[in-house]
Amino acid sequence: MQRSIHTTAGALLAPALLMATFAGAAAQQDTTHIPPGVELETRYSVSGRRAVAVRPFAGPIPLAGVVGQVGAIVTQDLSLSDRYDMLPVPTDLATPGPVDYQAWNSLNLEYLVTGEVTPTADGFLFDVTVHDVVFAREHRRRTFTLPATTSPDFRMSVHGVSDEIVQWISEQPGIAATRIAFSRFNADQTYDLLIVDSDGENLRRILGGPSQLHSPVWSPDGQRIAYTTSESEGWKLVERDLVTGRSTTLSTGSQLFLTPAYGPDGSRVAYSVWLPGGLELMETASGQAGATPKRLTNTGGDNLAPTYSSDGRRIAFLSTRTGQEHIFVSNADGSGARQLTPPGRGVEFHGPDWSPTGTQVVFHGSAGGPYQIMVGDADRPGLQIRQLTSTGWNEDPSWAPDGRHIVYTGSGAQGAGLYVIDTVTGTIRLLTRGAKLREADWSSSMAARQ
Amino acid sequence: MIRRAALAVAALGVVFAACSKNEPPPPPPPPTQPTTTRQPAANTNNDDAAAAAAEAARRAEAERARLRSVVEEMIYFDYDQSAIRADAEAALQRKVPILRANPGVRLRISGHADERGSVEYNLALGLRRANSVRDYLVNFGIDASRITTETFGEDRPLDPGMTEAAYQRNRRAEFTITAGADNLVSPGG
Repeated sequence: MQRSIHTTAGALLAPALLMATFAGAAAQQDTTHIPPGVELETRYSVSGRRAVAVRPFAGPIPLAGVVGQVGAIVTQDLSLSDRYDMLPVPTDLATPGPVDYQAWNSLNLEYLVTGEVTPTADGFLFDVTVHDVVFAREHRRRTFTLPATTSPDFRMSVHGVSDEIVQWISEQPGIAATRIAFSRFNADQTYDLLIVDSDGENLRRILGGPSQLHSPVWSPDGQRIAYTTSESEGWKLVERDLVTGRSTTLSTGSQLFLTPAYGPDGSRVAYSVWLPGGLELMETASGQAGATPKRLTNTGGDNLAPTYSSDGRRIAFLSTRTGQEHIFVSNADGSGARQLTPPGRGVEFHGPDWSPTGTQVVFHGSAGGPYQIMVGDADRPGLQIRQLTSTGWNEDPSWAPDGRHIVYTGSGAQGAGLYVIDTVTGTIRLLTRGAKLREADWSSSMAARQ
Repeated sequence: MIRRAALAVAALGVVFAACSKNEPPPPPPPPTQPTTTRQPAANTNNDDAAAAAAEAARRAEAERARLRSVVEEMIYFDYDQSAIRADAEAALQRKVPILRANPGVRLRISGHADERGSVEYNLALGLRRANSVRDYLVNFGIDASRITTETFGEDRPLDPGMTEAAYQRNRRAEFTITAGADNLVSPGG
């Protein structure tokens, strides 16, 4: 489905925030004078979604519990993709066997998912078919292996199947087989690093204690997390292998390290380090201690929160080089920096994250009011900022690998916690409730490793 | 555990400084008794001498507490700024002569921010504030090696409110004497 982009400045628009934000760009608030490409309104579209149903999966009677669990996970994953209108399955069509395409077609269904779970020595085979109801034929079919339900990989394996189904139907990456890393500041003034599956399950702490812990980010292969910490001997930039549990100190010896970001091939990490005068961006090799870092910025003020474009050739980051907090886009070596966010009195922008699928950069910002999540286009600096959220305080966004969902720290209708917004439909869901959950980073797909 | 202990000390510093901001210094601890056993009541001279010594000790302790409260008095900053304001400069100028007169005193300066910004940006802002204060003191002759700085960003608000008054209280630098507090002497004294 195409992302809805509306360049017209309609009459409804103009949250005060955005009018203030664009006061510089649009000297007059007469909407006929807004420069081409500047968008003051966010509209979402829920129409045009494909109608999909998941027929209860087949399996031997003793496996009914597992079969039901697999079906529930797949159904929820497809729903959380926000790509489909999930149709309920009528009782008379819920039984296994040949698909009655005509009956499904009369329900305006486009794709039907059927499957069968059978036991193996150490797990299950999961035979999945996606039917194209309109053309009355099998669309795609494949048999997956699943580990035993007692395996810690069980749910993630099913999520991998869900993402394959999304790929078959929409030819787009899914987000079911992904995780979110984040930090938590506790009431007793201790700090934790945690990870949670993208459906909110499987929350677990990977590190914690009295030392400050900040800025966890996933390596592209999902095996490592880089973060920064203040221990008694000082701040350092650390990479932790989640498989072996081994930690490598990538850099140390400064008063402050923050905001690491992996390049798309995982071999390098850009980060922010305190040098006399302020934070500057550096880049070093991942996986080894003591590599010689390369300096990316030398502007004075603060430069932090680097984020790579998907081709690794550019970065976006936060800089105060103009005296205000603005998002900049530059070449990966820091050269050729251009300001992405529009000027304006009292505006500030933070926390950029570059879309893994394009040129969109998400960040949070404000013109004096609560922070909201916004998106700009790296190829159109200063123009076309979309505001995605409008209620509560919302900060620290991070793209999902599908380039359409974003996780962020919010204080929405369901209280403080991590929320997920779908930038196409505007659907917002609570991922994990809790105070001081922050600095979230959405992983790449973990399906390949399952 | 080392860090926990340090935080506990810092927390005490906060309480102390917070109290001293708007109230008189807390009452000094009771004077220590002479270690010798009390003389017979008839010996009024000895009694007078002991009382005078106790009174002197009490005064000295009160003066040390006063000096400490001056050194550990917090200073405040404008939104998103690390520049030393006029009111902060006055507070720092009260610290300078004490620090000069007590070269054995070591100081830890903790920078803090209000909750606006991002978690990470505020860590940088807190460090910038703490270093700004350090640089000010160094400019007035305090050896940089006596001062350490650190940042807690937005994580240690004095006031959890979301009002400008709360934010103002939270944009601050805290001072903790980490060595030499027990031997403080008055400038020129």
